[in-house]
Amino acid sequence: MTTETRTEAIGILGKSKGELQLISADTETQVRSVSMTFRDLAGDADAILNLAGSIVGCVENENVSSILPKVQTLSNTARQFIGERLQAITGILEMVAVEAKVLHELSLVTGQQAEIALKTKALSVLTNVEVAHLGAVGMGFQYLAHELAEFSKSLMEDAQALESHTSAQKIAIEETRRVLSVELPRSRENLARIEAGLDNDLASLESSLIRLSSTPAQFRMGVEDIAQQIAGVVSAIQSHDITRQQIEHVQAAFDLISEKVRGHENSAQAANGELSQAYAGLTIQIYQLRSIKVTVESWTSQIKSCMGGIFRVSASELVGIGPLVLEQERQVSSQLAHIEMLERESLAYSARIQRTLQGVSSLMQFVGEYVQRSNSIRDRLRLLSFNSIIEASHLGIQAGAVLAIAKTIKEISVEWSKITERSGLAMEEVQALVRQTNKTMEAFSGASDEKLEQAQSQTRGGLDNLRTAAAFAAKQSQEMEAITGKMQSRSTEVANSDGLLDACSNRIDAILAQLESVRNDWEADRPDVKRGYDPTEVTQLFAESYSTEMERDVLRAALRGEPLPVAQQNLQGNSAELF
Amino acid sequence: MKRILAVDDSTSVRQMVNFTLGKAGYEVVEAVDGKDGLAKITGGKFDAIITDLNMPNMDGIQMINAVRKVPGYAFVPILMLTTESQAEKKDEGRKAGATGWIVKPFNADQLISVIQKLVK
Repeated sequence: MTTETRTEAIGILGKSKGELQLISADTETQVRSVSMTFRDLAGDADAILNLAGSIVGCVENENVSSILPKVQTLSNTARQFIGERLQAITGILEMVAVEAKVLHELSLVTGQQAEIALKTKALSVLTNVEVAHLGAVGMGFQYLAHELAEFSKSLMEDAQALESHTSAQKIAIEETRRVLSVELPRSRENLARIEAGLDNDLASLESSLIRLSSTPAQFRMGVEDIAQQIAGVVSAIQSHDITRQQIEHVQAAFDLISEKVRGHENSAQAANGELSQAYAGLTIQIYQLRSIKVTVESWTSQIKSCMGGIFRVSASELVGIGPLVLEQERQVSSQLAHIEMLERESLAYSARIQRTLQGVSSLMQFVGEYVQRSNSIRDRLRLLSFNSIIEASHLGIQAGAVLAIAKTIKEISVEWSKITERSGLAMEEVQALVRQTNKTMEAFSGASDEKLEQAQSQTRGGLDNLRTAAAFAAKQSQEMEAITGKMQSRSTEVANSDGLLDACSNRIDAILAQLESVRNDWEADRPDVKRGYDPTEVTQLFAESYSTEMERDVLRAALRGEPLPVAQQNLQGNSAELF
Repeated sequence: MKRILAVDDSTSVRQMVNFTLGKAGYEVVEAVDGKDGLAKITGGKFDAIITDLNMPNMDGIQMINAVRKVPGYAFVPILMLTTESQAEKKDEGRKAGATGWIVKPFNADQLISVIQKLVK
């Protein structure tokens, strides 16, 4: 080996030692800075854990998870409420059509009744004429003439009253029919929209409540995850100290190798052995440096990943617990708002429907009284017809005209019976209508409203609890967000340190390149340099200061020319062995 | 509050011991080597000592030998926290009076648990 080659090798070893010294100092500075930032970050994570824990505690205290069954009951009741009302509105439209038909029938009856009233009046006049014609004999028919006049008057008044009532009712019914025909599709649409709104709210409420119910477990997982990440950083930061010691050992070995190279220069006899030992030592240091590089990359990456993990769990998963509670509160409020809209919609219909139903009831009452009066008139007409026929028979041939009147009265009586029958049928139809109406009324009854109100009240109670939890969560979330902001800036600091630590890897690569070049020169200069040393001697020489199993394993691999042993990075650190 | 003395020439290791045990409610006092550790021991009362093995000025074994002679420290738990894992070294530590041995890096939970056990 030439003096120049030796000098160059010693120079490179010295320079490498100096560069390693700088790397060691730089990593020490960076790790110290990372360590400080980590302590702050861990403190922030602790604060976030406390805040998230208090939200989870509040959610549990306020029994928020019990709100879902309440909202489900409310939703089902509201859906039933909507269904009943939709059915009732349809029924009412049908009912209105039937009522219109009944009113038409009554109009016909009114017309016939007016005709009969006129006929009766004419008969009364004819009877009076005949009474005058018969003189004293016909005095018995004076009562008949008076009765007929009274009937006529009464029938006319009834006919007018019925006509007036049915006309007024017809107008009201037409108006209701017109309005309901227009409003029914709109109402269906509105109610369907409300129902869909309820369904959507319930679906998202259900999904977020499921998420909310998983928050205690999520929180526990977050706590465990952060603890694990913290343990990872604690372990990785300590690994830096192991690296520092390994670098010191490599630096010491460089001095030893330089001495051997110098020894080769001074003593020609021992030249071969000394240079071979220096060569073996250089090979070992190349292996050690490669191992150090892998280790530095490993703990740097672990610091990066675990710090990132602390930030990720703290900033997203745990901070997300608060907004989840707030979202819940918003959804339940929206559900209740939908129900309130439903109530308003229903209330508007109730007023209209009540009016329609009142009209039907009043019609029934009126027709009932009318039918009663008709029955009474029919009976009196029958009696009158019977009496007049008997009286006319007593008078014999003299009462031919009266007999004809009596027969006409009988005919009118039959006709009246038919009208009464028609009125009775109309009455039955109105009664059926009233029964249907009463059934329809049930949908709008207090009992139905009460069920909905009860469900609403329970949900409102749940909502109050949720609001308490939400208000608490909002406050805690604000604090969490502020802490997250701080963590964000700390993460940036760590990222800067990570960059500098990553650069160490390149610096070690540069040293390795120079050392490998020296070794190649030696091999080229003295091919037998690889075989001229005793492994046991070399081991004693270089392994004396080794303090880790890894260093010893690497040395063995270097001397045997084996691949670099894979460093078993202990992410969680080692446990204690008590004596 | 129980007091723990952490002796290590590595700042980052001392910081990690301080952080881990501090979080668990202990007061941790740091010393940069065996000599510094011994000075702090004679100047105050500690419930446990955690020490590195290889340190400048005075190593861990030398310090343990000296600490055991300090009045009141004959039975104070001393944990060795070192990169060394060789049986001979452990035996040396045990003979000097160490209570236990942890190979670096330590597991944070394990360290807390063993300290809790030792300083009950």
